Amino acid sequence: MWVKLAGKLFAREFRRGELTIIFAAIALAVLTVFSLSSITERISLNIEQKSSDFIAADRRLSSNHAFEPLILTKAKEFGLNTAEMLFFDSMLFANDELVLGSVKAVSNEYPLRGKVTIKDNISSQPFDVEHGPQPGSVWLSEGLFYTLGVNVGDNVELGAGIFNIAKVLVKEPDSPFFSLSGNKRVLLNYQDIPATQAVQAGSRVFHRLLFSGDDQQLTDYYQWLKPQMKSNQNWQGIKDRQSPLGNNLDRAERFLLLAGLFGIMLAAVAMAVSAKRYCERQYDPVAMMKTLGGSRRVIRNIYLLHLSLVTGFSIIAGFAVGYFLQSVAGEYLAQFMGTELPQAGIRPWVLSAAIGIVCALMFSLKPLLDLFDIPPLRVLRRNLGDTIAISRIHITISLLTIFVLMWVFSGELVTTLILFGSTLLVIAILFGISRLIFAAGRRLGLSPGSSWSLAIATLQKRANANAIQLISFALAIKLMLFLVVLKNDIISDWQMQVPSDAPNMFIVNINENEVEPIKQFFNENDIAHEAFYPVFSGRIDAVNGEEYSRRVSKQEGEEKDEEARDGVSREPNLTWLDELPEGNDIIEGQWFTGGDEIEVSVFEGWREVLNLELGDSISILVNEQEVIAKVTSFRTVDWGTLKPNFVMILSPNMAGTVPVTYFSAAQLSDSHTKGISQLLQRYPTISMIDIKAQIEQAQSIIGQVSLAIGFVLSIVLVSGALVLISQVQASLAERLQEVVILRTLGAKGRLIKLATLYEFLLLGAIAGLVAAIVSDLVLMIIQQQLFAVDGKLHPYIWLLGPTSGAIFVAMIGYFMVANTMKQNTQGLLRKIA
Amino acid sequence: MSVLSQLNVIQVSGLTKSVNTLEGNLTILSDINFAVKSGESVAIVGASGSGKSTLLSLLAGLDVATKGEVHLDGDALSTLDEEARAQVRAQKIGFVFQSFMLVQSLTALENVMLPAELAGDHDAKAQALELLDKVGLSHRLEHYPSQLSGGEQQRVAIARAFIGSPKILFADEPSANLDSKNGHLIEKLLFDLNKQNGTTLVLVTHDELLAKQCQRIIHIEAGQLEKISEGVSANVG
Ligand SMILES: Nc1ncnc2c1ncn2[C@@H]1O[C@H](COP(=O)(O)OP(=O)(O)OP(=O)(O)O)[C@@H](O)[C@H]1O
Ligand SMILES: [Mg+2]
Repeated sequence: MWVKLAGKLFAREFRRGELTIIFAAIALAVLTVFSLSSITERISLNIEQKSSDFIAADRRLSSNHAFEPLILTKAKEFGLNTAEMLFFDSMLFANDELVLGSVKAVSNEYPLRGKVTIKDNISSQPFDVEHGPQPGSVWLSEGLFYTLGVNVGDNVELGAGIFNIAKVLVKEPDSPFFSLSGNKRVLLNYQDIPATQAVQAGSRVFHRLLFSGDDQQLTDYYQWLKPQMKSNQNWQGIKDRQSPLGNNLDRAERFLLLAGLFGIMLAAVAMAVSAKRYCERQYDPVAMMKTLGGSRRVIRNIYLLHLSLVTGFSIIAGFAVGYFLQSVAGEYLAQFMGTELPQAGIRPWVLSAAIGIVCALMFSLKPLLDLFDIPPLRVLRRNLGDTIAISRIHITISLLTIFVLMWVFSGELVTTLILFGSTLLVIAILFGISRLIFAAGRRLGLSPGSSWSLAIATLQKRANANAIQLISFALAIKLMLFLVVLKNDIISDWQMQVPSDAPNMFIVNINENEVEPIKQFFNENDIAHEAFYPVFSGRIDAVNGEEYSRRVSKQEGEEKDEEARDGVSREPNLTWLDELPEGNDIIEGQWFTGGDEIEVSVFEGWREVLNLELGDSISILVNEQEVIAKVTSFRTVDWGTLKPNFVMILSPNMAGTVPVTYFSAAQLSDSHTKGISQLLQRYPTISMIDIKAQIEQAQSIIGQVSLAIGFVLSIVLVSGALVLISQVQASLAERLQEVVILRTLGAKGRLIKLATLYEFLLLGAIAGLVAAIVSDLVLMIIQQQLFAVDGKLHPYIWLLGPTSGAIFVAMIGYFMVANTMKQNTQGLLRKIA
Repeated sequence: MSVLSQLNVIQVSGLTKSVNTLEGNLTILSDINFAVKSGESVAIVGASGSGKSTLLSLLAGLDVATKGEVHLDGDALSTLDEEARAQVRAQKIGFVFQSFMLVQSLTALENVMLPAELAGDHDAKAQALELLDKVGLSHRLEHYPSQLSGGEQQRVAIARAFIGSPKILFADEPSANLDSKNGHLIEKLLFDLNKQNGTTLVLVTHDELLAKQCQRIIHIEAGQLEKISEGVSANVG
């Protein structure tokens, strides 16, 4: 019986626009969450794929000892794809030339992710394939063709075997950023390893297994593998701390997460406000229905049905718009990147629908309960029930809901607390400010009848309503400013990591006596280059006399172990330096003091793993020679850069005690090719490693992520704008009565429009200013806490906030009032009757 | 239950209403006693602020008395909760208010049908059409309140008051918001329909002329029942 009535009422209310804002708010929440979560999911799936390309797999396991066969068979049982790799050095012989090649033997499944780039011969076009060489053949990198004087189709001796040179190797997907292999790479089929006879007991080899599969399989497998991993085995994923990409991916993910949170917060604000407004407007009909004998139950049913209908419709609308948005954005991104974005799964649908329902329920709960409680006596005493208007319970429920939503969505309590706390701070400040301003305005003494005095009078009259409005304006502006700044900072930070003038060539294996001539060559040719780092490799033997393996295994079983041990290689590249390298910061201890002892500065991340303290002594084996170094400082390392980074830097008094080669990086262009080949002829042991491809790859990923962030930002900006619009609309509806009275009393449309304009200018500017101040402060905290970036102030938003706030809010207000002015006064009077 | 109270569709005894205000306890009505017989028309008159609307709200069970009792067609209102009182209103009472109180999002016809719909009666349409015809609005069925004049809105309200053939009709200054011509039209409608349906009418007004058209007049002054006088139509029945 009540269903028909409810349906009729709903249809009418909907048509009359009573439900528009509430509808828009839920739809907004749904579409924001939907498009954000699906686009971020699609992008991160794509980025993950790309990053998988970087290691040619999803995970890899490395060791300098052979793996037990069980490790591989188990992986297959878990449903994973696997590939085997073996790295070793071996002599290549052809045309009476003998060269030490750096061999990478790969099984037929290689690469599991990404592609190998090859050429049919030196002068032809490169193309991509997804496999390695056939048994019996090898692929050589270009440099070897020159040094050996061979062509594609020739034979080459590798160790004891003879192989056909089938292709020119241009790029391996998993070529290391920094390696000593240089352009002497030989790609060999795994089956051919015995034929070379180069791998004997005791030879220096490096084993690696590649794995790919879905997340669950990988995790399950790792669960199995973890307990039996040896200290010489290293498990690596794509998000490891020490890869430049892992670092940036992390930041990007956090940003997208934050943006999502903000979207939810904005929609929640809109929802809470509009739900309350809608319910207030239903007081009279409810009082009337009660007077006419409508029971609580019927009234409750009617309005709960309204709520479900509006929720259902807005979720559908949110889906539709959200789907459209994300597919447009996905298309655009895919086009820009020249790749296809994988489709997101069911998660965005479920998540956004759930959030729509939770928003609808929680934010309208208290206003609805109030509505059911409206006394029928209101039909006689018109203002009965109005006092319910400001409800602490409603505010508390709404805040709690927002908090829980944010927490659930982000899964991070600290982030949520920071954001939430700062929001409460904004609210508190604004309440204070609005009180002060509205009180002060009274004393301004403007001439009556002017638009300004009307504006201020209106502001004062609505002190409470205005405070609420001010708060939602400020919150929306704050969130938007926040993301703008964060985006700028993140992106400029990235661009700094891979600047356009970054060195594109590593020069390794430089002997002591070759340093000066090369420096000279660089200077003569005006080539920008890095310092020459002495590099040697050492093996960490013991800490304070305690064996290394024992030390690491002590950590076994602890949760952080998995992550912590990832980066630890027992044989790190070592250097000694006079000065702390750029991008490094001492966080404890002191940089080398110049004493007699050998000192070492250790990467902060290794402190926990090795359980180090200042003053510990680390013994390092360098070619059978034991070096004992005292830990005098811990340092942060910016793994995001493509520069050489070292986990252990020794004091310069190491010089002369161990044999080293030098390492540098330079920015070379095509015009230098000739000079370089001369240089290489003169010093044949030097290797040049072209990292142009890596830089381009990194830049392309950064480009994609920046674009994604830009897109997400624009969605949040749109949500923010909608919140502002709905707020202005709400407040305009409230003041319609006033406008009508003024209009009836003969006020000119211009006066009313100007008064509204000024009022909103003031509101927008105040909101913008507070938003700017608070977001800048919060940004400092967030950047330090979440992004590990030094927080700094951003003076430009102190101007951007108030001006954009004032202009935007005033514009919306003005147009809406102007719209109202077009109707005749009689029509308006009818509307408010 | 006495025979008397069965004859009297409204029985008021010792009715007192006081409210707590910032300035302390305020007694709005004190010790009111009277009875209204079935089919009778009664006017409640008094100065502004004397307590007429308050009395009406107590009679209709929109509010609860501080002391005393209202028997409405046999039901002691003070023993009923809000839900039960709503039930009583749905079955036995019709209302007309000074400020029309139509639901803005329903058409004229739907507004008239609203009480019936709330009471679960779906066959009210014929009666609603008939009532709207009687108040002269059969050509405005699908119009919303905002499209009707004040007088027309009040006529819709009157049609709504009579739907479901209530036993008692309460009207609180039904013509106060209208010009005298329209006001008289409304008053005439009210009395005509009242007679046709044999409804008991309780009318709040400070219009002496209007009050005189009722059979009896209850005079309220400062919350006290001052006197009950006879109207001109006292013997018409
Ligand atoms: N809840 C309340 N709180 C405080 N005072 C009240 C309350 N309800 C009624 N009053 C007061 O009781 C008195 C009677 O009010 P009531 O509305 O019944 O007067 P009335 O006779 O209907 O007046 P009018 O002719 O102006 O409509 C008024 O002075 C009013 O201010
Ligand atoms: Mg009154």
